[in-house]
Amino acid sequence: MVSINYSSREVCCKIVYYGPGLSGKTTNLQYIHSKVPQTTRGNLISLATEADRTLYFDFLPINIGNINGLAAKFQLYTVPGQVYYNATRKLVLRGVDGLVFVADSQPDKMAENIESLTNLEENLREYGYNIDELPMVIQYNKRDLPGIMTVEELEARLNPRGWPYFEASATIGNGVFDTLKLIIKIVLDKAKSSSGSRPRPAAIAQPVASQPTTAPQATPVAATQPSSGDSAPSSVAVSAPPAAASKPQETPEQYRPFPGSHAEEHHERKPSAAGFTPAATVDSSSAPIERNAIQSAGTGNGEDEDTSRPVMAPSLKRRGSYKKRGFFKRLFGIK
Amino acid sequence: MSDDNLIIYEEEINQIESLISKMLKGCEAKCALLVDKDGHLTTRQGFTHSLDTTALAALMAGSFASTKEIARLVGETEFSVLFHQGKKDHIHMSLVGERSILVVIFDDRTTIGMVRLYAKETAIELAKVFDKIKKDSESGPKPGISTDFATMAQDKLDDIFQD
Repeated sequence: MVSINYSSREVCCKIVYYGPGLSGKTTNLQYIHSKVPQTTRGNLISLATEADRTLYFDFLPINIGNINGLAAKFQLYTVPGQVYYNATRKLVLRGVDGLVFVADSQPDKMAENIESLTNLEENLREYGYNIDELPMVIQYNKRDLPGIMTVEELEARLNPRGWPYFEASATIGNGVFDTLKLIIKIVLDKAKSSSGSRPRPAAIAQPVASQPTTAPQATPVAATQPSSGDSAPSSVAVSAPPAAASKPQETPEQYRPFPGSHAEEHHERKPSAAGFTPAATVDSSSAPIERNAIQSAGTGNGEDEDTSRPVMAPSLKRRGSYKKRGFFKRLFGIK
Repeated sequence: MSDDNLIIYEEEINQIESLISKMLKGCEAKCALLVDKDGHLTTRQGFTHSLDTTALAALMAGSFASTKEIARLVGETEFSVLFHQGKKDHIHMSLVGERSILVVIFDDRTTIGMVRLYAKETAIELAKVFDKIKKDSESGPKPGISTDFATMAQDKLDDIFQD
């Protein structure tokens, strides 16, 4: 769920690094943390065991700065890879916007890669997400080790859906930034296309920077029907090649150039996300709203004070009146 | 990707912030954060300058999520209030509506009872605001990020992420 805060002018995206244990997810984040300027990144938080194995998650916030009037923030998470941490692994996936699957290129780790990928699909399904709808990049890690599988073999076993992939050696940093840049690009493209799939007044389609911060609720609602599944498939239309494409890429040739045509192909291959609605979408309107204890007590008792305004130290007279109405019972939650 | 994008406008965030600052004055806590269950910081009030609020938000959302799982295992739906007691500072977390967590950090100048009372009251008011946001976003137009946002982000990324 891309969070957009028009008041603080922020766009916030959550990217999760998934994969089997010891495949290099934390190393990816550590490399990014070590190379990115301090002004761009926050602290790397690791909830790890004493043996430096991820217990819950690693977290690295990145702020790439002001783009078109909005600050673009990315929260990078890793999951614990070990099989028995599935409960916590699943929790990290909540609200994910993009996924990087870090696969281990060693032949004896293939079974773990497949198991982790299956587990990812299951965990996403439990949240009501579809793995085919989510932006995803595969990273074949540990390419610097001897005796590793070829990319063709890895592709055949792990990537039947044709996700974009990169070869990487996270310890020395090869492919780490390429992976991150591509997943960010796909996430932003997707956020744009999913918002564009809804019927809305043309005025809203203007660049955000040109809009005042006032609430656009004032805009007359042209069409109020919810996002219908039969929206035009063109909602996933591929954007024009970014201007940066002309920039010479210093990536070695074995890596897919970024931003390359692969991402665009990837988008075309994917089914339209227009009709996608997560089954687990919560409906906050169904939550019962209790009456405010203080307000309900204050209502109808003739006092002219605004009881909805909290008062730290009520006068003695007021204390007395509170006491009569069971103030201390409410204070300590006694029923 | 979830489709229920959270879009908060200035009018609503002002409303949220005034509710939280009213609560802070009332219960004399140090600061308060409003955190999305996904780990995004919605807003903050009070003395938060010395705090890494981004990391705090992610960790608190994680803490709440793990507690929810614990609740499920013992047969509860959710624990709606969490309290961490320290030597000097304490943290009170309570659920707001379905998707947010109100975090209040306080010290010995006030009491847990006061914080709990005011947090409960504020959570109810905040839930109403979030309800309104949800209704507006369902019925109204949905502005997203502009079309060239991704392209412009691209150039920045190339500058920042250099090996």
